[in-house]
Amino acid sequence: MAAKKLRRARLSQELCERLSRHQIITCQDFLCLSLLELMKVTGQSYHDVQKLLCKVSRACAPKMQTAYEMKLRKSVNPSSAFLSTTLHSLDKVLHGGVPCGSLTEITSPPGCGKTQFCIMVSVLATLPVSMGGLDGAVIYIDTESAFSAERLIEIAGNRFPTYFDSDEKLYCMTRSVHLYRELTCDSVLKRIMSLEEEIISKKVKLIIIDSVASVVRKEFDTQLQGNLAERSNFLARGASVLKYLAEEFSIPVILTNQITTSLSNGLVIQADLVSPADDLSLSEGASGSGKRESGCVTAALGNTWSHSVNTRLILQYHDLPTRQLLVAKSPVAPFSAFFYTIEKSGLVLQALLPLQLSGLVSSLQSLQPSNTE
Amino acid sequence: MQRDLGSLPLAPALRARLVAAGFQTVQELLETGPCGLSKEIGISKEEALEALQVVRQECHGDAARTAGGSGATRKCTALELLEEEQAQGFIITFCSALDNILGGGVQLTKITEICGAPGVGKTQLCMQLAVDVQIPECFGGVAGEAVFIDTEGSFMVDRVVDIATACVQHCQLIAEAHQEEDNLKALETFSLESILSHIYYFRCRDYTELLAQVYLLPDFLSEHSKVRLVVVDGIAFPFRHDFEDLSLRTRLLNGLAQQLIIVANDHKSALQEGKEHSSTFRLGSAIGLAAESVPSLLP
Repeated sequence: MAAKKLRRARLSQELCERLSRHQIITCQDFLCLSLLELMKVTGQSYHDVQKLLCKVSRACAPKMQTAYEMKLRKSVNPSSAFLSTTLHSLDKVLHGGVPCGSLTEITSPPGCGKTQFCIMVSVLATLPVSMGGLDGAVIYIDTESAFSAERLIEIAGNRFPTYFDSDEKLYCMTRSVHLYRELTCDSVLKRIMSLEEEIISKKVKLIIIDSVASVVRKEFDTQLQGNLAERSNFLARGASVLKYLAEEFSIPVILTNQITTSLSNGLVIQADLVSPADDLSLSEGASGSGKRESGCVTAALGNTWSHSVNTRLILQYHDLPTRQLLVAKSPVAPFSAFFYTIEKSGLVLQALLPLQLSGLVSSLQSLQPSNTE
Repeated sequence: MQRDLGSLPLAPALRARLVAAGFQTVQELLETGPCGLSKEIGISKEEALEALQVVRQECHGDAARTAGGSGATRKCTALELLEEEQAQGFIITFCSALDNILGGGVQLTKITEICGAPGVGKTQLCMQLAVDVQIPECFGGVAGEAVFIDTEGSFMVDRVVDIATACVQHCQLIAEAHQEEDNLKALETFSLESILSHIYYFRCRDYTELLAQVYLLPDFLSEHSKVRLVVVDGIAFPFRHDFEDLSLRTRLLNGLAQQLIIVANDHKSALQEGKEHSSTFRLGSAIGLAAESVPSLLP
């Protein structure tokens, strides 16, 4: 919308030519100027320039819809509003499952099950709508080369043995999962930009990027000057394209993230610290009041990224083999926690009572980042 | 009128010609008349007439101002202002602690800014206020409509449905407890459907669309005169990335703030901006300046 040329905003030909002589070609250039500058450049009076401004604004402004129309549109197609994860307690808390049309992030220390979760959800997306799936293809952008087709088939066969009873069905499912191996930030961004046409032609219903953090942290060393801004730029651009795709096609987008340790000296701790819910302390509880010698563990990629994702699920170790899943950020769900294990059929929720967590908990969840403690 | 020609809203080319021909004050211009003007500076008679009409309008406005009548600038005593402020409604949130802190609720004709870390509840509060502005007057609300400008895409209709349903139930409980005529009548029109249909939602994907929408806001508000709340969820978000020219960004943000102030005052509505908490020092200071330049409007 911003790059819309002024010609298409129904300005007169001579006015467009006059403006292009001053390097004002798109609506964006036009709207960035102040009224006085516009008067100088168009040579028209104050009131005429205001009318022009309204005309150009009308060409770029978004369409109005009432909340009621949005609700009606959603209720016409209720099954397409969520992708059920088949983890019943989680689905209940999230009002249906992974929401369509917004970004969902899975964060965890290494080895907790992010890729397992992604592979499991890929299977679910290819299922027919009657079984809770989205009956569509999956685009899986893999940056760590962690995807395993064998595991995909294993999960499918064990989780839905009655449905995947023949090899034919399994092959059909695997044909709908499109895997892209991208190893640099640039190629990831290029791939994301090119997704629009792929989604339409392949009837894609789920986009997974596993993982965003690994490429970004490989290439951007935030200790170097200027890299932090560049990194935020890259992330913000990627996030806005993904959001556009998610909203336009009403599909869920799942991204995985890593954790980072921020040391308790200097500004570094502020840069990555997001909110109490995301704060996972290294040692058992916070010793003393505030003086954390060992630093704390938080979701990586900083604040800009945390603002861009709509839902955040955190996975962490509890005690082997049980792990914990936290709903840390969600517009519809309260802060909740569940226990799960990873089995042949993917993730399985345990029947342990979920932790009672009050909303104002500022003490931090104890986290074991590796399972060799 | 000894007013200088340079201060009139004429087209720059015309102004240049007038100056070149030697005109300096408005008086001279008015004395000349359209035909004389067109001959002297070489423009058509229609253009000359147009220019004179613009000048006359400006002077008329000036005269009215100096005579102390109601012009573009309002003049009133502090007492009148106090009475006006007290008579104004507040947007109540049915959360008494919050309403108490804000001195009654969210004020109309003022800009309220909400900052916070991600996930802390800014969008939730904005959605709640979009519902609460519609509470009928007999329950203490302002019975208005809401405009929701979303730049982050975090507006969830399902959540608004939850909030609206709870609000309607709350009002129903009040009505049952007090059993007054007005309350029951108001409840007939205060339903989930009517609440949702009076939230006007705009999704702006980048700062150009946001600028465009804010320019069009006055027209929209004159068409929908019952709007009492404008929410801009994420005013900083579209400006945070892809902006090399920081001074342009500051200028655009300030311009936006000015536009919104005008809208708030002229249309007697309240404005809300959900602004995300910025952590990096450089970004924080750039946006912080824009926000700090309107301190008088934060209640």
